[in-house]
Amino acid sequence: MFEDDQDTLAAEYVLGTLSAQERDQAEALLSFDPGFEAAVRQWERRLGELNVMVEAVEPPPAVWEKIKTEIGPVGTAGGIELPRAKEPDQESLPLAATLTTDLLPPEAEPAKATLGQTPIDALAASSSPGPEPKKVERSADVISLENRVKRWRGMTLGVGALAAVFALYIALWQLAPELIPPQLRPPAAGMMARLEAPARLQQDRLVAVLQQDPTAPAFLLTLDTQHRNLIVRRVSATPEAGRSYELWLISSRFPAPRSLGIVGNDEFTQRALSGNYDVDTLRGATYAVSLEPAGGSPSGVPTGPVLFTGKAVESLPATPPQTPATPKT
Amino acid sequence: MLMQAELVWLLAAVAKGDAAAFERLYEATRAKLYGVLLRILGRPELAEEVMQETYLKVWKMADKFDPTVASPITWMVAMARNRAIDIVRKRGESSIEEEPQALAVAAETPAPLARREMTEELKRLLSCLGKLDPEKQRIVLLAYYSGWSRDQLAKKLDIPVNTIKTWLRRSLLEIRECMGL
Repeated sequence: MFEDDQDTLAAEYVLGTLSAQERDQAEALLSFDPGFEAAVRQWERRLGELNVMVEAVEPPPAVWEKIKTEIGPVGTAGGIELPRAKEPDQESLPLAATLTTDLLPPEAEPAKATLGQTPIDALAASSSPGPEPKKVERSADVISLENRVKRWRGMTLGVGALAAVFALYIALWQLAPELIPPQLRPPAAGMMARLEAPARLQQDRLVAVLQQDPTAPAFLLTLDTQHRNLIVRRVSATPEAGRSYELWLISSRFPAPRSLGIVGNDEFTQRALSGNYDVDTLRGATYAVSLEPAGGSPSGVPTGPVLFTGKAVESLPATPPQTPATPKT
Repeated sequence: MLMQAELVWLLAAVAKGDAAAFERLYEATRAKLYGVLLRILGRPELAEEVMQETYLKVWKMADKFDPTVASPITWMVAMARNRAIDIVRKRGESSIEEEPQALAVAAETPAPLARREMTEELKRLLSCLGKLDPEKQRIVLLAYYSGWSRDQLAKKLDIPVNTIKTWLRRSLLEIRECMGL
């Protein structure tokens, strides 16, 4: 089932259900394992179409202004006139309607709601101070859809898979309101602090892929250098009866490998990072797993075969640093 | 929304440094990306930050786009979602509780869908999703739309996290099987 495990990791990475540590591990895999990367791309293709059902919301104009500033002047000066595309399709329908058009009375033909022009009133109000809300049909659309949802709720939709999916939207629709906490209103302050947090955390986290064969990572090691703990995720290595896997730190600063403890038999092993290794040591070290007698090496150095090794990398290497260049307005 | 072919063409122009094409690409895709980000991040300020990051990345990486493996919009949305989910994960699983707007946005669920957007891939995905049990459909979609982790799904839906894990795994393997792609 190893391939399925890998593929599930890829799928959950794309879906977004992994924890922070698991995402780091997936991203480490992505950076060196073309097979895993292909799996991720494939899942992006499988699930990516779901974006069609996410409601488009007009961003405030300031966003483009900032992007434009970053990339330099956007030239219309040279007279580059690109062919204008056709107007957006006026035939827009809520998904639900496309699934059950024939159930609709004619007057329920939905309002036009084209992608890119559907601000949520409340958000538009809170996020953009002045300029024109592009269209307001959205609210009409929502109301009419809501009416239809009410009407449809009682219907039996036994007409195959698409109908089942439609029922699901009603389920979501019904689900969401109960999830809204009534009175919470967080202060707008604290925002910048939060924004900075991820950037800092990334540097505190090292990930190493421990493997023998480049196509088959055996363990993924995540080190949180700030909180001084480590997580080992067993990927493909199988537990051996009567023996233990032991994790080692190998550094040019030490004459012999230093034990970081036994890797448990569960999928995840989490523990405090032993020893007072500084971040540079941890960053520069090689990590290895050897197969030892049950309970670990009796002598404090590896006695069994070193099966898997790997170097640590900063997690999320692909993420561009936050640019403090643009002054906050 | 421009046709997919037009977006591919725009991205190809962007890859050559065509700023006007980039602006048109932005115009054609900004509302979709912002909608996706707002739903996951909850806060307009955060969503705006990630919008900037994502489009700058698109500007720099347009030459990496391969129309044979992705459509322009799924490529861009994947980039934006990834960053957004990284941010919410690292900000801590619990802070979603403080994000009323995320939930308010989530309440607007069924989004308008142009007929022309009903691609073959989408039809296939929907029919495969439709074959899942309703509860499993719900978690897959909630995960996609809201960017919730397994822990958050478990908490919000009051289902043990191990059950969520098993359901997700089975659902995803079923989707893979069903889509045959």
